Amino acid sequence: MKTIKLQNNSLKLVKDVLKDLKASPDLGIYKCVQCGMCTSVCPGASQTEYDPRDMIRRVLEDDETVIDDENIWNCFSCYTCNSICPSGNNASEINQILRQMSIDKGEGIQKIVSFSAYGDSFMELGVGSIPNTFFDVMVKDVGPEYMNLKLNIEDIRADLGLGSYILPEEAINEVESILDNSGFKNRLERIKRCKK
Amino acid sequence: MIGGGISGISASLSLARQGIKTCLIEEQPTIGGAMVKVGKLFSPEKLVEECAMCLLNPLVNEAVEHQNIGILTNTTLKSAERRSGNFNLLIESKPRMVIEDRCISCGSCAEVCPVEVKDSWNEGMTIRKAIYKPFAQAVPDVYTIDLENCKKCGKCQDVCRMNAIDLEMEGEIIPMTVGSVVIATGHKTFDMAKRPEYSYGRHEDIVTQMELARIMGVNGPTKGKLLKPSNNKVPERVVMVQCVGSRDEKPGGRKYCSKVCCMVAIKHANVIKQHYPDTDVIICYNDMRTPGMYEKYFKYAQSNGVRLIRGRPGEIAEKNGIFTVRLEDTLSKEPLEIETDLVVLSTAMEPSKGTIDVSGILDVGLTEELFVKEKHSKIKPVATEVEGIFVCGTAQGPKDITDSIVQANAAASKVSELINGGVELEPFVASIDPSKCKLCRKCIDVCKYKAAYIQDEVLTVDPISCTGCGACLWECNNDAIEIMGQTDEQIMAMITGMLKDKKPHENRIIAFLDSVGYVSADNIGINKIDVPNSIRIIKIPSMNRIMPKHVLHAFKMGADGIIMGEYPYNLMYSRTKEKIRGLKRELLKNNINPDRLVFYKVYIPYFRGLASKFNEFDGKIKCLEN
Repeated sequence: MKTIKLQNNSLKLVKDVLKDLKASPDLGIYKCVQCGMCTSVCPGASQTEYDPRDMIRRVLEDDETVIDDENIWNCFSCYTCNSICPSGNNASEINQILRQMSIDKGEGIQKIVSFSAYGDSFMELGVGSIPNTFFDVMVKDVGPEYMNLKLNIEDIRADLGLGSYILPEEAINEVESILDNSGFKNRLERIKRCKK
Repeated sequence: MIGGGISGISASLSLARQGIKTCLIEEQPTIGGAMVKVGKLFSPEKLVEECAMCLLNPLVNEAVEHQNIGILTNTTLKSAERRSGNFNLLIESKPRMVIEDRCISCGSCAEVCPVEVKDSWNEGMTIRKAIYKPFAQAVPDVYTIDLENCKKCGKCQDVCRMNAIDLEMEGEIIPMTVGSVVIATGHKTFDMAKRPEYSYGRHEDIVTQMELARIMGVNGPTKGKLLKPSNNKVPERVVMVQCVGSRDEKPGGRKYCSKVCCMVAIKHANVIKQHYPDTDVIICYNDMRTPGMYEKYFKYAQSNGVRLIRGRPGEIAEKNGIFTVRLEDTLSKEPLEIETDLVVLSTAMEPSKGTIDVSGILDVGLTEELFVKEKHSKIKPVATEVEGIFVCGTAQGPKDITDSIVQANAAASKVSELINGGVELEPFVASIDPSKCKLCRKCIDVCKYKAAYIQDEVLTVDPISCTGCGACLWECNNDAIEIMGQTDEQIMAMITGMLKDKKPHENRIIAFLDSVGYVSADNIGINKIDVPNSIRIIKIPSMNRIMPKHVLHAFKMGADGIIMGEYPYNLMYSRTKEKIRGLKRELLKNNINPDRLVFYKVYIPYFRGLASKFNEFDGKIKCLEN
């Protein structure tokens, strides 16, 4: 049986979430009435065990194990939960804060290693683009035309009267310099080291 | 009485029985309001549903028969002005195009009328003609022409044996002087266009609770049978969605709980279960709110096999005539899809257009949600900001019929108090010198008691509304306002008197206290609490009355400090803080230390606090060098 003990600072986790840099100033987490409207429209919840309502309940009940819960990694950040919430709450945002907590603890870092190629793309091209390691699954989801788009992107853009999406060398260097000075590069290296 | 629903009818009857002449005006061609449409009612103590028409009809009949009640339908309030406690109203009557005295309600006219329109009395689920009577028992029992849709073809005139139809009939403006006004303008329901995720309007079998009430009403489109609008078949399952537009902070939503929807849903669920036991009924709820005796009716619904799922649906989808209601069963922590063939939405109660319009015309305040604001939710629950104007029913906020009737009777008794008992007034009332007043309206704008108004080019103060607070004196650049019983001379003389015979090295502090502060100071005495003998108390209706000249006079006459104490929950308090800053600036300009003037909030039970403030300030004054 769970016991809510006296002198237990039972709002620690929710306060930490609200203090987070990422938290919107009007984040309505305290106003949650556990109606489940977020879960009812959540694509992650329909396919996995992820439950945004229950995640928020655990935050409100100071259940820190939620940070280690595998299911928080099943959010797509589509923000449908936010757009439908009648209490002004935002489960996506809370999810991202919890993920960051997990990354800071060191455990969540494994979850984002496969995304590090996005970081490389920023460093090398100055823009974010879907890394080629994801092409197979994209073809599975979108269909064979996805590869066609990828391979002939420059021609397709030319047909549409659009210029090249490759940034000039100068701009790429500038972006790289910003990413380096802001600590992004270091962070990316740190994440990539976890791969090994 | 503005509004002829159950609230307006109940309040009118109470007043009429007390011998007070009452005029009931109703915008629609018939009285009865929302109550006649709902068919069946729930009650606190009973486990059966009551017949709305059976309860309402005797009241309507009594109102019609009563010699003290005049009923004007098709009528709205056009304008209103106040004159010393009375209201001069202009009432506008739309032409009915049917002479009431001649119409025998035979219906031949409607038979020949070629114009067909959706019948709003059945929530648009049936068709009526352009000449119509909303329902069989309508009062007054006459036909009406709907001017928006009538083509003036004259066919109805040809068949009318009573010569009752006059297509040239014109509207009327009726002037009226009344002693009191009651706003009973009711509510409307949430506009479903704001929540497309529930697919309302795209499918006939997604209906609101009011539409379900009409479907199940014996005088409704299906004569009381529960049949789906799309195919006239009995539904296998009915899913009800609670809190549609209520408890909703999204744009266009209503932040409040609409209070009646849980009971309405349970009532309809019970009625369905009684007549169609094979139809499954599921209510998707957030919190089941059935306070007091209503809990018994909730338990009764459970025992009837009504199913309850705790979760708020996010979406309703349709495929091949089957709806899917998507929600999370929050108790079992499971995303859930419920298949159903009829969905009922429990839509929020919102202020009606009439409520907002009438409040504007009468100049009464509204709440954040645009319901009529009562003066004080506890001690003045039916009074509005304007003396003599009262409110009842859903015009004041969401409530059920039981509460509406209680409030209607409360409003009637307050009108009766005013009319039969007269009014007792404090003598402190603003008076205007018309020779100095330039009609700049600044005093009108500042007065939250809405006591000042311009009548026939003369600024007038309603003595019943004015509290003599003195805020208007600050605004008047022409020195045209005085407070009777608290003129500048009187205040100056009180100050002079309090500082008379002051000895060298003696400290004197003037404490201006409002009536709450004064009682608090009395309690200091009764409880024998020590206060410095420097304190001299002057009672003033409001700190707004104290102006720079009074303060400067006090210091000139030898005061060492000034305390001002006011109860913070009066209507004009918001201005007080700004005033105090103004007074302090004025002191600084005259080389007087602004720390010699302080302001405290006062409360009757907090007299020990006031005493310690006196002591604290006295000590501080002694240490001040200038």
